[in-house]
Amino acid sequence: MFYKFFVALFLLSSSIIAQNNAIAAGEKLTYTAAYNMSGILTDLAEVTMETSNVKTSKATLLRLKCKAVTYSKWDNFFKIRDLYESYVNPKTLTPYLYKRDINEGSYYKYMKYTFSHKTKTVKSQLKKKNNYEENKSIAIKSGTKDIVSTLYKVRLFDYKNMSVGTSKSFTIIFDRKEVKGQITYLGKETINTSIGKKTCYKLAIGSSQTNVLKGKNSNFLWLTADENKIPVYGKFKIPVGNGELKIKSATGLKH
Amino acid sequence: MKKVFTILAILASVLAIILSVLPASNLAIIPAIIALICGLVAFYLSKRTGEIKKIIQFTFFLTIIALGITTYKSIFNTVEVANTEDLEKKEAKSEEEAIEELNELDMDEIEIEDISIE
Repeated sequence: MFYKFFVALFLLSSSIIAQNNAIAAGEKLTYTAAYNMSGILTDLAEVTMETSNVKTSKATLLRLKCKAVTYSKWDNFFKIRDLYESYVNPKTLTPYLYKRDINEGSYYKYMKYTFSHKTKTVKSQLKKKNNYEENKSIAIKSGTKDIVSTLYKVRLFDYKNMSVGTSKSFTIIFDRKEVKGQITYLGKETINTSIGKKTCYKLAIGSSQTNVLKGKNSNFLWLTADENKIPVYGKFKIPVGNGELKIKSATGLKH
Repeated sequence: MKKVFTILAILASVLAIILSVLPASNLAIIPAIIALICGLVAFYLSKRTGEIKKIIQFTFFLTIIALGITTYKSIFNTVEVANTEDLEKKEAKSEEEAIEELNELDMDEIEIEDISIE
């Protein structure tokens, strides 16, 4: 009996913590995506993460927009123009509509998810070149989010009161499949960024199966250890070398 | 032995030249260093035998050109984003469409707690 009570209390408190107190409309974060091979960096693309208010007839939603654009020197070789959007509840970051429009070289793909949290389904629409279209309805678990809103949701956790090694898991819907992910808090670290020296929360990102603390995980994210908790640096393992995401500028922050 | 180093130096210097003219010009430094080392080893080995092949000097020449291009590019080329007009148009269009679709959606304010704590 008491056990159930504490579980309920715990869930309730975690839902309060998960309220949005870090992300405001009008925020713009710009990153440089680079490829790192033995310490030699090659800049590949500019990644922008923007938020804005969107007024519909029923409510005001938050539009989360992520863009990836290759630098002009790459455009003749491999041109990337990717757009990821998610329209979410400004308080809880629950997604209602998600769109992904990717244009990479000669490859094109468009994906749209319309979330129905009541019936726990997602209506998907896939478009490809030559007017190819496919509509499908997918059943999801409660709480499954798209990748963009998950990326923002990571900023809402209360790392201040979290002990090192704590893991949080989440489910993402990507390419019409549910994927389980996990982040692990690895402690504080001070790093140099182009917006100054920042004390950060270091997080490891991975699937739920890998054991992060044993060093099997190699995707890391650094969030500033302040109220905004903006991601300032990311490191991703790829077969040869590393992928890096470094912040270039941050404007319109809430705190 | 001399032959192996000469071949390695040629290959590495050619690779350095190719990489230096590509956008990933910074990466040319790695084969350039390999080319220099292999070239020097081959140079000394052939000096001992008394006969220096022209090809070794040629690899030095190629490597220096590659390093020159790489340095020039890293100093004078600024990274910038261009041709984003189409994307900007797409963004605006996408927002309009989204508002239309969201208007049709039945949005009940349901709070969902999704993250399980372990």
